[in-house]
Amino acid sequence: MPNVLTKTLWDARRSLAGFALGTALVGVLYASFYPQVASGAMTQAVESFSPALRDALNMEDIASAAGYLGSSVFGIIVPLIAVIYGIATGTRAVAGDEEAGYLDLLLAHPISRTRLLLHRCGALAVGAFTLAGLVLLAMLAVRSSAQLDTVSIGQFTAQCLALALLATLFGTIAITIGAATGSRAAAMGGAAVIGVLGYAANTFATQIGVEDARYASPFHYYIGNEPLRNGFQWADLGILVAAIAVLGFAATVAFNRRDLNS
Amino acid sequence: MRDVIRLEKLSKTYGSRRGLVELDLAVHEGEVFGYLGPNGAGKSTTIRLLLDLIRPSGGRAWLFDRDSREHAVDLHRRIGYLAGDFVVNPRQRVDECLSFLAALRGGVPRQRIEDLATRLDLDLSARIKALSKGNRQKVGLVQAFMHQPDLLILDEPTSGLDPLVQQTFLDLVRDAKIAGQTVFMSSHIMSEVEAVADRVGIIREGSLVALDTVTRLHDHSVHRFEITFAGPIDQAALAALAGISDLTIDGSTARFALATNLDSLIQVLARHSIASLRASEPDLEELFLAHYQPSNAVKEDNRA
Repeated sequence: MPNVLTKTLWDARRSLAGFALGTALVGVLYASFYPQVASGAMTQAVESFSPALRDALNMEDIASAAGYLGSSVFGIIVPLIAVIYGIATGTRAVAGDEEAGYLDLLLAHPISRTRLLLHRCGALAVGAFTLAGLVLLAMLAVRSSAQLDTVSIGQFTAQCLALALLATLFGTIAITIGAATGSRAAAMGGAAVIGVLGYAANTFATQIGVEDARYASPFHYYIGNEPLRNGFQWADLGILVAAIAVLGFAATVAFNRRDLNS
Repeated sequence: MRDVIRLEKLSKTYGSRRGLVELDLAVHEGEVFGYLGPNGAGKSTTIRLLLDLIRPSGGRAWLFDRDSREHAVDLHRRIGYLAGDFVVNPRQRVDECLSFLAALRGGVPRQRIEDLATRLDLDLSARIKALSKGNRQKVGLVQAFMHQPDLLILDEPTSGLDPLVQQTFLDLVRDAKIAGQTVFMSSHIMSEVEAVADRVGIIREGSLVALDTVTRLHDHSVHRFEITFAGPIDQAALAALAGISDLTIDGSTARFALATNLDSLIQVLARHSIASLRASEPDLEELFLAHYQPSNAVKEDNRA
């Protein structure tokens, strides 16, 4: 028997499949450049960058597999797509469906707002973990052929787990803004601004002399302690989970209080 | 008789705009209640308050003697709701949508959904985005009626339906009434309410301006006459009738409106020879318009 969670996933199946396959494919494409990078051409190019730029782009150690993956695949392109997936899904979960007029009917059924919200958060998390899981499988599939063996399966898993939580967190940010305001634009725009600021804070905080700012960034807890080199960062993962839980709770409180927009 | 809906000084303000002003209203078990008013009068506001989609600024709403907000989830099991602009995700099939909504209620016999779909001539295998506005509204009708709820809350239910389907809809409402279900139905179309409602409430700018049975509203209403006389007309006798208005004489034909007492008219007519007589059935539309044209209403009262 379908429920809100399974129906939400089913309705979004094409979008989820597209995002997950696309992310995995792009990840694999970038990862398979590694043998060329390791052979030296790229290393020389990077060495001509200033030390500050190398540091900012996390390219200090681009010749190692973990360094290369951490700066390119898992440093920019894959989290970017995963975060976009999270924000799009989180925006639709409450504010998007509310503006489209779908929520009136659902909430006229025997479903509390809290339950609706939890099911929508659950669907978001399942989607994010599916996406990250596919990225992981794709990475493991090309691990030998792309000479990425120095990164263990556990380390890949650690990074992909952080990726799933990062996407879920940004989705939850969009859900929370949507639950509080009912505005699709506010949910999407707000989460996107937080994403850009968070990425900038994590990447450039050191350069502009506000080193501690990166601790406010979700991206720091995603990759700051280099799971590809150091394996599971349980404290960081715990902080991501806690942030998701706190936001989810705030969303529930706000959503239960206000009028649904017609 | 038990009240299924009871509103106590229910108020809703949107910023500085007043949506509902201390509305008191009771709808009894088993009745069909027509809730009339033009767009923006507060009909949908009342309905969305009943369903806990929005929260009152003051007062309370009771459904089955339970607070509509506190017990919203439980109460919704007993309610079928249809909005005039019924919208669902268009990228799904009709039966997919209906079985999901049925599952939220713990399931509805498949046969019941199929019966309703057949009655409304709705294709269950169609994709919703491929349906016309009227056919989408049929999906809404099926989901509102399929679990045979104790209370049906229908907000402008027939918008977009073609006349034949409107008749089927009215039959569904009659069946619901026979089955003992209560129906609360908002509309700005008089004829459909008149056809099925036991009582009618007319709302205007957030306040109830009239509340009565359809029968009694008729009794108080104005009949229009067009009488052609074979002989001379006793204009003075006609003009002296109590409750007459808009009297015009055009050759041998008299046209006028008459409220209440028809006896005296018959007595006047008995003294004449009549070539033809036409009396039009008053409808709620006229009553309704009278409520929205206060200046005219006052004028007629004065003449009476």
